[in-house]
Amino acid sequence: MFYRRAGIRHTRYQDERQLFPLGFDRGLIIAVILVLLAAPFLFDRLYVSGYLLPWLIWTSAALGLNLLMGWSGQIHLGYGAVMGIGAYGSVHLVRLGVPLEIAMIAGGLLSATIGTMFGGAALRMKGIYLAMATLAMQYVVDFVISHSSVISGGSLATLQVPPVRFLGIPLQGDLPTYYLAFGVCFVITLFMLNVRRTSFGRALAALREKDYAAQILGISTFRYKLLAFWVSSFIGGVVGSLLAVTYLRAISPDQFHIELSIQILAMIIVGGLGSVLGPFFGTALILFAPIVLNNLLGAAAGTFGLSLPIDLRAHLPLMAYGALVIGFLLYEPLGLAKIYANFRNYLLVWPFRHAQR
Amino acid sequence: MSLDRRSFIAGSAALAAPLALPVQVFAQEKIVRFSLPQDFTRIYTFVTSEYNQGQRDYFTLVNDRGGVGGYKIVADITDHANDLPRAIEAYERGKREGAVLIDPLSTPVARALVPRALEDKINMITAYSGRSDAADGSAFPYVLPLSINYWTQAGLIIEQFKKTEKGSLKGKKIVFVHIDTPFGKEPLPILNVLAKKEGYELAAFPYTPPGNDQSAIWPQVRRARPDFVIFWGAGVGQTVALTEAIRNGLPMDRVSGSVWLSESDMDVVGREAAKGVMKVEPCVGGREPKVIKDILADVIGKGKGAGPENKVGTAYYNYGVQMATLMVEGVRKAAEKAPNGPVTGPWLNEGLRSITNFTADGLLPPTTITKDDHQGGGMGRIARWDGAKFVPITDWFSANQDVVWEEIRKNSDEFKKTGK
Repeated sequence: MFYRRAGIRHTRYQDERQLFPLGFDRGLIIAVILVLLAAPFLFDRLYVSGYLLPWLIWTSAALGLNLLMGWSGQIHLGYGAVMGIGAYGSVHLVRLGVPLEIAMIAGGLLSATIGTMFGGAALRMKGIYLAMATLAMQYVVDFVISHSSVISGGSLATLQVPPVRFLGIPLQGDLPTYYLAFGVCFVITLFMLNVRRTSFGRALAALREKDYAAQILGISTFRYKLLAFWVSSFIGGVVGSLLAVTYLRAISPDQFHIELSIQILAMIIVGGLGSVLGPFFGTALILFAPIVLNNLLGAAAGTFGLSLPIDLRAHLPLMAYGALVIGFLLYEPLGLAKIYANFRNYLLVWPFRHAQR
Repeated sequence: MSLDRRSFIAGSAALAAPLALPVQVFAQEKIVRFSLPQDFTRIYTFVTSEYNQGQRDYFTLVNDRGGVGGYKIVADITDHANDLPRAIEAYERGKREGAVLIDPLSTPVARALVPRALEDKINMITAYSGRSDAADGSAFPYVLPLSINYWTQAGLIIEQFKKTEKGSLKGKKIVFVHIDTPFGKEPLPILNVLAKKEGYELAAFPYTPPGNDQSAIWPQVRRARPDFVIFWGAGVGQTVALTEAIRNGLPMDRVSGSVWLSESDMDVVGREAAKGVMKVEPCVGGREPKVIKDILADVIGKGKGAGPENKVGTAYYNYGVQMATLMVEGVRKAAEKAPNGPVTGPWLNEGLRSITNFTADGLLPPTTITKDDHQGGGMGRIARWDGAKFVPITDWFSANQDVVWEEIRKNSDEFKKTGK
């Protein structure tokens, strides 16, 4: 009914090749984009700068990691460090007077360079061993940043982001920061949607399934493994500088520690490896479930006059959050994106039960 | 897993449930709203619960006595788990609900909130956390540590060592064992400057965070044959450091920590073994001060206590009461200046920055907050563990403030240059 899939078949190759071949999907995407564009005028400031802004930023980062883990199958436990390199690189450049547009790209390039160097480990290692190598990268980068006061910014180890402009617009207040994050997220999403239709994306998929099989098929594993690290680290670096400029506004080493890496990893696993939609769902769950559960419990305690000890009150939402994550993964190990896909499949031919393949 | 009709309906219902979250609307009484998002679950854990318990008990005491200056205190408490998105959400929520003060009790969170608090004119309390240079009120009008920062604490400890050595530290060796994070390295500039000034030799030994294994460091400390040892960390690192210091036979009466040492730590180390160790006391510990006695009688006695009674009067509990008395005194001063409000950040800011010679009936050293000095005068005292409690061995004193303020100004100037 919604998708009007029954009986309608594409008659031209162009129609079938579109990013979203079904009209309903296109409409839905446009509606979501319109709502996001109008969000600062529709919703309270709390929801724009407290929820939507971090959601867009963390989603962009998760998409970058998903390219590496979901598309090319290389494990990375140091993505937080990759973002940190981009953030520090671009903030230092901005402080030296370089325009933000260039500094963001330069931060991305710096991340890409260093990320690819460590990614070189992937040429010899796989799976859990690669995980250890990238974990080492996390700790090396943490160490270097916090031990060179030139990078970390003196004895207080806090680097203030000076007032910046993007394309001539000063990044102050909610509107410009939100729209910049939206723009970056939009471009990265568009890129990710298209990657799987390119030879690069197909090479990554071949690499993921079996790297020596890919080599036999004529795909240079050397080239594509490094390229996967390069692209993913570049995205990480750009998002790192976006995070610093629009959200953190003052960076310190502890913001890019292993916790951030694990958080982003959790987002793509819960959301769905190798999916574009997954990181959007995963980020929302990982970032906001603790907050929403906390507020729900607080509201419930307030309404019903429960007097819980503060420790229990703080830990209960975390237990519920853990249960939620495990529950979703038990229900659908392929992630939230797959749950959505099931839901969509169900509606594709609704009210009929089975889709004709 | 395929989707059938039943799970489809159940799933839709589950998705719709959180959307029905009620938006609370509060009646317009004369209230002052404080937002206290703190870390109960990740790093500071028990420190936060004791600190927060003290704050809430004091607010209960004040409210039961009819409030302050005609205003009641409302404190919203949430857990931010030291996680920036959660803390920033809590900050934005507090701002929307009209909070005029926020106390995150976390260095990373405070750092990220500094630009926002300055922009939104919301008073942020950064007691024993956040940026040390926030003591400079001219650069950080809305960031108020209201307590002695780490540089002052280091200055006080050195002064105490100097007194022990009858006025001269020339040729002495002081070892500084610290967690290898920006927080742990923070006192180093002060210690280095003082080393030049006082003529002692400084040796720094960093241990890797979080510090639950320091067994490689402490034998080196022993071999260095220090005259004095300062250990600098928080949470689990503190008890491990003390245990190792005891195991390596260092004379405990020549070992000192910062403000982050409490009775709970001593229970872990062993109350008897840790005898003699020193710490910096920013306010009176124990149950003797009048405020704590009042809380025991009027709050705990009436069953309105916010937590377990045996925590009342412990070090971190009293820190919480200390900060709460300062916040309430700020409200009182603000209400004196403008009794009818409106209650805004700048309104409270005026009050907080005109606190003069406030001691909360003997709980704190005389504290004066001015528009330039947000540290409150830099007074503290040194206390020694006697096996059962911390006993003060000095009166309230202040030391080496010239060196401390040089460092404060150096950093706040740097902030002013790029922050604006």
